[in-house]
Amino acid sequence: MNDMILTLRKATKLYAGVPAIEDIDFELARGEIHALVGENGAGKSTLTKVMAGVVNLTSGTMIVDGVEVSPKTPLEARQLGIGMVFQENSLVPTMTVAQNLFLGHEQFYNRIRGIYIAAQQFLQSLNFDVTPTMTVSMLGAAKKQMVEIARAVLHKAKVIIFDEPTATLTPEEKKYFFDLVRDLQKRGVSIVFISHALEEALLLADRITILRDGKKVVTDEASKFDRTRIVQAMVGRDLSNTLYGARKTKVRPSGPRVLTIQNLKMAPMVKNTSLSVFGGQITGVFGLVGSGRTETFKVVAGLLKRDFFHGGEIILHDRPVRYLVPATAVRDGVAYVTEDRKIEGFFEASSIARNVYLGLLAKFPGGRWLLSGREARKVGASWIERLKVRAISDEAKVVELSGGNQQKVVIAKSLIQEPDLIIFDEPTRGVDVGAIVEIHELINRLADEGKAVVVISSYLPEIMALTDRILVSRAGKIVEEFSALEATEEKIMYAAIH
Amino acid sequence: MIAAIKEFADRFLGRGEATISVPSFDGALKPNQRLEEAEIVLESAAAEDLTTDGANLFIAAGSHLLRLDGAAATPLRGFDAPITALACMSGGGFAVALAGREVRVYPSLTASAPSAVFNDAGMCAVNALAPTPEGALIATDGSTNQGVDEWARDLMERGRTGRVFRLDPKTLEARVVASGLRYAFGACAARDAVLISESWRHRVVAIAPDGSSRVVLEGLPAYPSRVSLAASGGYWLTMFAARTQLIEFVLREPAYRKRMMAEIDPALWIAPRLRSGVSFMEPTQGAHLKTMGVIKPWAPPRSYGLVIRLNAEGTPIYAFHSRVDGINHGIVAAVELGENLYALAKGPGRLLKVSLTSPGNEVGA
Repeated sequence: MNDMILTLRKATKLYAGVPAIEDIDFELARGEIHALVGENGAGKSTLTKVMAGVVNLTSGTMIVDGVEVSPKTPLEARQLGIGMVFQENSLVPTMTVAQNLFLGHEQFYNRIRGIYIAAQQFLQSLNFDVTPTMTVSMLGAAKKQMVEIARAVLHKAKVIIFDEPTATLTPEEKKYFFDLVRDLQKRGVSIVFISHALEEALLLADRITILRDGKKVVTDEASKFDRTRIVQAMVGRDLSNTLYGARKTKVRPSGPRVLTIQNLKMAPMVKNTSLSVFGGQITGVFGLVGSGRTETFKVVAGLLKRDFFHGGEIILHDRPVRYLVPATAVRDGVAYVTEDRKIEGFFEASSIARNVYLGLLAKFPGGRWLLSGREARKVGASWIERLKVRAISDEAKVVELSGGNQQKVVIAKSLIQEPDLIIFDEPTRGVDVGAIVEIHELINRLADEGKAVVVISSYLPEIMALTDRILVSRAGKIVEEFSALEATEEKIMYAAIH
Repeated sequence: MIAAIKEFADRFLGRGEATISVPSFDGALKPNQRLEEAEIVLESAAAEDLTTDGANLFIAAGSHLLRLDGAAATPLRGFDAPITALACMSGGGFAVALAGREVRVYPSLTASAPSAVFNDAGMCAVNALAPTPEGALIATDGSTNQGVDEWARDLMERGRTGRVFRLDPKTLEARVVASGLRYAFGACAARDAVLISESWRHRVVAIAPDGSSRVVLEGLPAYPSRVSLAASGGYWLTMFAARTQLIEFVLREPAYRKRMMAEIDPALWIAPRLRSGVSFMEPTQGAHLKTMGVIKPWAPPRSYGLVIRLNAEGTPIYAFHSRVDGINHGIVAAVELGENLYALAKGPGRLLKVSLTSPGNEVGA
């Protein structure tokens, strides 16, 4: 690969003297799809931010098209032909697709109709099925991503960097996204993408670079990797048997019935669904996005309300319950660990200890008049140790933590409430493999202690490796149940789709 | 006044007591087709109950007592009324309930005269007998108003006149242990109490000798019937029909039920049945029964076949099913003998044999 469009030599970035990336050599060929893989905190984001001009190198060089450059801002990087599509998209939700496309490139006089026509022509040239007059907030995750990509291409990007592009996409949308990326590749655009889903890296990338602790471990052609080799290189140890590797040979028997949902309705997402959850067992709930699984359990936890008329029944420990607010559910021993930790999971500007302490406060009816900073620190320190949260100090802000450690804080916030029923919604989304193993161990431990555990996940290997019984949700109701011993990916997927 | 307003609000909003919902078959009750695939040992439209002395299987069929010998049933003796319940006594001998109104205890299979007769005038629907270790007999009387075959009417009238008797063959004392039950149907002596199925409340209760009761299992998705001991500890609980939202709804509408019972053929009532699919006029829930001409096994059932294996604490471990698209419905009795479970499907009138050594029992555990 002699025709390199972007090269980094000895790239180093220090934060307060601590290296985020160190002596990294990276090469991106023209028209190549290059995957960046590594645990959270491995330096992937820093490396891509350097390329996109968001972060400046402390030492080292960056060469674009044979010219040594040093972009100081994203605008400079864009002028060099490097665009970045962030995980949380950077579109303005109240503006239309066309307005977002031309944002920052407005003329002195903008004719709205002219912008729409130009946007329509441009989107059609990319084969993107997006209506330019539509407000961005009305678009689904996949379409928003299309707009982001279109914007990068419109700005004549030769290199497009994707940060976790598939994290919020449904399986169908992922397939569509892969086609888009391949189409861009055919147009000569080079792609760098970060992904925690290793199968995606193996499927899509031409080459894979693996980072660990801010250093490059290896770069090689994707065909020379398999899942085990990637994981080994990422974490420096063999996790193949602990992470989705071994098939279950034994399941935990059902304990007492903790939760019964009978004919629950919450239009339009939950349609007459019924299920039970037992103690001492992990109940997995699988379903495609939109199948109503999250909504069902949000109703249980008091985050959503069932239908006003004939909404069905929720029975917790043989007692019908109807929670109007989550606090009542918390007091009754129900914990819900959200799938969207950044929005619903924590206060990002608060410390770990304060966030965990907030979980404890939710247990007290009517809250507390006096808050104890000492108690908060004590509680925080104990949970940081128990869940092995890696942070500079207990007072570190949650926003400064990696995804896996943020997730552990969210879990600690719920576990401090000593729940009997714990609902994990996508517990390992956006979490690196090392933390996945730790979170899985924690979930298993909770079930072994006799707690009723629900794991909602759209990642089949996780469901199959972790749970004892698997409920499949489709179109707002539970349609099938499998024991983990009899379940196969094909059977589960068939039930979820047909 | 407040209670009346609350009741009205609940009925209007479908909440509280007026919630129309049924539990699902999941966890240990996860559906399979083990009963549907079971070997058919005997066909008898009049078969009503089963019992065993540990070596032989006895069948009550009409007014005859039969013994299963291989693949055939040998008539042992006849009675002057249909047998509605049957039990082998712990010290030898056997007991029968005749027409639901009389219980007779015989010292042996060949004895011509009973050693004890209980024909309390109040007995109306004695549907299960169970011996106790002390030599007494527990009898469940489903209803004081409706006969054994009129159980659907008792459900539609929301009957709560079921009773449990303790019959002592030595002293001829018949003592009511519990009353006011919503159809008592099935008894089994447990360690320190007697397990009783209370069908219309979808639960199993343990009644102590002093009359105090404790709920062992509740919130069942079907109507429980007879209970028997499992060889390795625990119990076999049979369920003769499954609950549906449609029936639960009808049970909350007294005027509708009254008119239905007055005007419609009982075979076509919106009520659980022991068999279904006989007539196109049978009511179904929301026309959910068939897709492309094929009966959906998961459709709301008009009739169903189910036997649940309970552990010693009464917690379900696994279950055998005959689903909506099956035939072996209306299971009213199940007895373990050797390495097999014999179940009586009263709907089609079949005696079924399920091997307990074959794999698959752990599914759903």
